[in-house]
Amino acid sequence: MPDVILEVSGLVTNYGQVTALKNISFKVFENEIIGIVGPNGSGKTTLLETIAGTLRNKEGVISFLGRRIDGLSVRERRRMGLMLVPQERYIFPMMQVRKNLEVSGVLVSPKRVNHLIDYVYSLFPALKERVTQSAHTLSGGQQKMLAVGIGIVSDARLLLIDEPSIGLAPKLVTRLFSNLSQIRQETGKALFLAEQNVKILRIADRIIGLEGGEIKFVEKSSNLDEKTLQDLYMGQ
Amino acid sequence: MILTGLINGIIMGGILSLPVLGVAVVYGITGIPNFAIGLIGVFGGFVTWYFLSYNLVLALIVGVGVCFPIGYFLQKLLLTPISNKGGDAILFFVITISLGFVFEGLTRAIFPRPSISIALPYLGSFTVGGVTVEVIKLLALVFALSTLTAIRLLEIHTRPGQSWQATSRNLKLAKLVGVNTDRVYAVAHGIGCSLACIGAIFWGSLYNLNVLSGWELGFLGFIIAVVGGIGNIWGGMLSALLMGLVLSFSGYFLDGNWQSVLLYAIVITVLIVSPRGILGSERAL
Repeated sequence: MPDVILEVSGLVTNYGQVTALKNISFKVFENEIIGIVGPNGSGKTTLLETIAGTLRNKEGVISFLGRRIDGLSVRERRRMGLMLVPQERYIFPMMQVRKNLEVSGVLVSPKRVNHLIDYVYSLFPALKERVTQSAHTLSGGQQKMLAVGIGIVSDARLLLIDEPSIGLAPKLVTRLFSNLSQIRQETGKALFLAEQNVKILRIADRIIGLEGGEIKFVEKSSNLDEKTLQDLYMGQ
Repeated sequence: MILTGLINGIIMGGILSLPVLGVAVVYGITGIPNFAIGLIGVFGGFVTWYFLSYNLVLALIVGVGVCFPIGYFLQKLLLTPISNKGGDAILFFVITISLGFVFEGLTRAIFPRPSISIALPYLGSFTVGGVTVEVIKLLALVFALSTLTAIRLLEIHTRPGQSWQATSRNLKLAKLVGVNTDRVYAVAHGIGCSLACIGAIFWGSLYNLNVLSGWELGFLGFIIAVVGGIGNIWGGMLSALLMGLVLSFSGYFLDGNWQSVLLYAIVITVLIVSPRGILGSERAL
């Protein structure tokens, strides 16, 4: 049985007066891909932001690598090996592609940063061809690749990625998901992906279904089909 | 007359460019407009003047050295906590204007004279087309250009510089990747206040530096920085030089009041035509 790296129990997060997450509990194991699915407003982004520390939980406990982290700052959580790639504004605009990657390894030794950047280039050759290009001039798909690259260079053990496929053409979604699966296999990282695309079933080990800020189900992907997820997205 | 106007304009632009750089660095990185920056710079100018009787180098180190921690701790202990609590532009306007009055009062209370002249050593002169120019008068411009180049090189080639750039481009992502954005903010504010102080020292060596000069340096610095493209330090530099030339040439034809009318009419026109400034804003928060 692999080790638990993230454990969330009884998590409650408020947005002002509104309770966005209600009594959320689950575990993430080493080298696992977890998909968080649910309709808009179900609390996927809030969950990721609460784990990363950009939002604070009102109740409950978040533990990472056996240590309680819900009182720690974003930076302290980052130091421990957690990294959130946000849904919006996930690159440094008006900075070169290479500089985007270098600055993402601010907590990593320069030698290891170079090694990780080479790995990113091997995954996404399109970025290697554009090292000196300003990041905001990349295409939407290339910007998503760069966002994942930023996550890789951060050298986090658990990568939280918010809606990696949003805005991408179906062909690009398939390729990006295949890249994410490859990253898990080659780096041993655990990936925690908030998604609205049913193709998540193809790469995730388990799926957490969220609706109205509550967990509706936690299931192995092999026990689910695309229709179940589509029904969840439609609120059925 | 054209050559004299050109030289005077460049000298004036060089001096203006220092507080402009200060404002551009602070606002470009932190997103907080500090309207007290000129008053802090003038306070440092008075400190420099006070220590000049002991030793020039000591005076410069103490004067500029006082302004760095003022900016650093102002950001760290006051402005960042307010920003984290969701402080808006109006709140920062009121707070930094109030801080300006605090430093104006401190300068009046600590130093015996409200108006000073800072005597910097004579560094020689040279003649261009029959016009004699003192080297010291061009030093502000040389210093501003060197500072600007140094900032750009640091941004490109060093880790702290990249963290600095990342913070100004995307604050949230910078925090997420682990940049210590609070420290970046505090250092930027310290550097900004130090640059304003150096501007005040040059101002005091060429004209009179009085307690109220800080408001003029701060507001003019802010306006010129916006015209250049907020956060864009090259734009700020270019804008300062253009404003220096406008002030210099218009001085031949207009009195002080009409010079202000012309200057600010140009400012408004530029911002209507190009709201992001001459070279565009680099701030992307």
